[in-house]
Amino acid sequence: MKFSLINEYLFLTLLTMIQMPHIPFIITIILYFISSVWSIGYIVKPGVFDKKVAKWTMMMGFFIHSGFIVFLGLESGNIPITNVYESFVSLLWCILFVYINLDYLYKLPSLDTFLLPVVTALSIWALTFDGGNLLVTVSLQNFWLIAHIIPIFVGYAAFTISFSLSIMYLTQQRQLKHKLFGSLFNKLPSLEGIDKMMWKTISFGFPLLTLGLVFGTFWVKTQNVLGEMWYLDYKVILGLATWLIYAALLHMRLIASFHGTKIACLTIVGFCLVLFTFIGTFFMGSKHAFQKVSEQTHTELLNVQ
Amino acid sequence: MSIIVVGLNHKSAPIEVREKLAFNPNSINTALSLFSQKYQDQNAEIVILSTCNRVELYISSQDGAIKAEDVFSFLADFHKIELNTFSPYMYHYNDDRAVNHLFFVTSSLDSMVLGESQILSQVKEAYTTAAMEEATGKILNQLFQQALNAAKIVHTRTSIGKRKVSISSVAVEFAEKIFQDFTGKIVLVVGAGEMCELLLKHLYEEGARTFIVANRTYERAEELANEYHGQAIKYELLGEYLEKADIVISSTSAPHYVIHADQVKEAIRHRRGNPMFLIDIAVPRDIEPEVANIDNVYLYNIDDLQSVVSQNVDERNREVEKCRVLIEEEVEHFMARLEEMKIEPAITHLRNHFHTIGKEELDRLKPKLKNLDNGDWEQVIYTMERTINKLLHHPAKVAKQEAKNGGGYRYVETIKKLFGIFHHTDNP
Repeated sequence: MKFSLINEYLFLTLLTMIQMPHIPFIITIILYFISSVWSIGYIVKPGVFDKKVAKWTMMMGFFIHSGFIVFLGLESGNIPITNVYESFVSLLWCILFVYINLDYLYKLPSLDTFLLPVVTALSIWALTFDGGNLLVTVSLQNFWLIAHIIPIFVGYAAFTISFSLSIMYLTQQRQLKHKLFGSLFNKLPSLEGIDKMMWKTISFGFPLLTLGLVFGTFWVKTQNVLGEMWYLDYKVILGLATWLIYAALLHMRLIASFHGTKIACLTIVGFCLVLFTFIGTFFMGSKHAFQKVSEQTHTELLNVQ
Repeated sequence: MSIIVVGLNHKSAPIEVREKLAFNPNSINTALSLFSQKYQDQNAEIVILSTCNRVELYISSQDGAIKAEDVFSFLADFHKIELNTFSPYMYHYNDDRAVNHLFFVTSSLDSMVLGESQILSQVKEAYTTAAMEEATGKILNQLFQQALNAAKIVHTRTSIGKRKVSISSVAVEFAEKIFQDFTGKIVLVVGAGEMCELLLKHLYEEGARTFIVANRTYERAEELANEYHGQAIKYELLGEYLEKADIVISSTSAPHYVIHADQVKEAIRHRRGNPMFLIDIAVPRDIEPEVANIDNVYLYNIDDLQSVVSQNVDERNREVEKCRVLIEEEVEHFMARLEEMKIEPAITHLRNHFHTIGKEELDRLKPKLKNLDNGDWEQVIYTMERTINKLLHHPAKVAKQEAKNGGGYRYVETIKKLFGIFHHTDNP
């Protein structure tokens, strides 16, 4: 019965694939990594590295990444944020999604050189959360959850891009100051151009962050998700701090029309805070609607919901 | 058919000699028509390229009938100068070397500033002038089109013309790395010297429109400001206007600093971090060097710009070898095309010869076939022409193909001999 043997083999392979759901994500990371190398290589040795390779590996990575998100979603029947790992993967997807659209709209030369290494590094970091036991304890079909998470994720994505832009700004300004006129200098856009783009991404991300926080507050008030002392939750406090930083940035730009290196440095601080709010709080012991539970309980939880 | 170039350039001759031989737009036309008339019998074609760095005459004639000496004496007659006052400075090249020279010149590998693009338009203009005057024919038309094409190839495939090699263009390039565009940017010019004007012109070309000029003598400031629809200010007010300026160009002959660090610090505070770009092209310097340490201020002096210029010049020099290879390829293409062109008249003659024979035979046949109606007779003519064309198709193709490899002349001779068709004339 050769046929059934093959069938059985295929079934087993499929089962292993399902049991190791991060394999597509690893492939994605590899592709992002190649893209990073090529996008940097293109600047250092333009003759050897082709920019197209950087672009296409990134697109391929994004394609698999999207497929993986869909897979995760289908598997749990919900948006893929059921644990920290999934949330991270989703956030990374948002970053790429926002970047690809921005690049299409504004044609930002060399931004990939600064963004993709960040994305690759974050992806590898995300991988370490795979198999973690911090799981969502609230109903995932909750309107408030969607309204809270999605704007914040897209906002975070915009902030990640503004972070890359500020690194780019500081790099270019350093080159101008120290008179380093190499290949990188030629390939980067003008300070003014980067500054404008930074401003655009922040002013795009900020309303979204605000919206997400407002919805979160409504949610926590109406459904008592974080308990009575919700305002002492680290994530809530840091979320507010993040909001304040970006509000200050916007104020400086809009009211005081501030430009230059200070804005770039503040943007970097803002992004560090974003990262810390997103991930760091878990190390500080904040649960923020995630709970240390066993896989079995989690499945049960999901099924009940 | 042969091509010759006769001329002199900035390397071979001093300005005193070049200016004697230079043509102005009017005299070019006169010279072109005079030359064409004089050498009409030799099927002469001529293009005159006259720029401030070179005077060159590109000439094509039947079997090299026109020699360099003929051109020398033509030039002496035309400009009414002694032949020996300029002949030692002249160079002349024939055929593939002439073609190579033109391609080199057009690709600006022979220019004073390597890789500059002006020569391309000058060659184009020289050719158009000659073509309008009907001084060019099949050969030079082909040659100049190929030359312009070669120059384009050289410029796109190498970076010979990519890096900027003048102080003002390098300064503008830096400004472009600070500001996205120059519209709405304010340029403050301190001192109204030649270098300032050059930079101003460059910035104007790139889109800058708002200029403020400050100069010790107010009249000179006004003069320059008016030229670019700018505003002249009193020299003493310089400090007040500093904070308005996005770009500052300074080139005064003052023996001390004109713009001080604390002034710029104050200005940048008012500008709220909006970057400032300061270019100090004066020696001794106008802007206090400490200005460079202020955040969001970018200061460049003449040495900074000069060092970039020389780096870029080196970069261009490194590209020359690559260009040379590309040009050699293009010259080869052209020479092959030339050989092919040489054989074309021979093939036309051969075709005419066959058709004449065919026609004679048909004329002989017609009275014998009285019963044939017009339709049938046309069929006979058609068949005859078709046969001739079919017979000639292959040899013509092969001859052209072989001619490309340089055997054009041999094939013309062979055709002459085999068919005995050209003994009445020496002009195939």
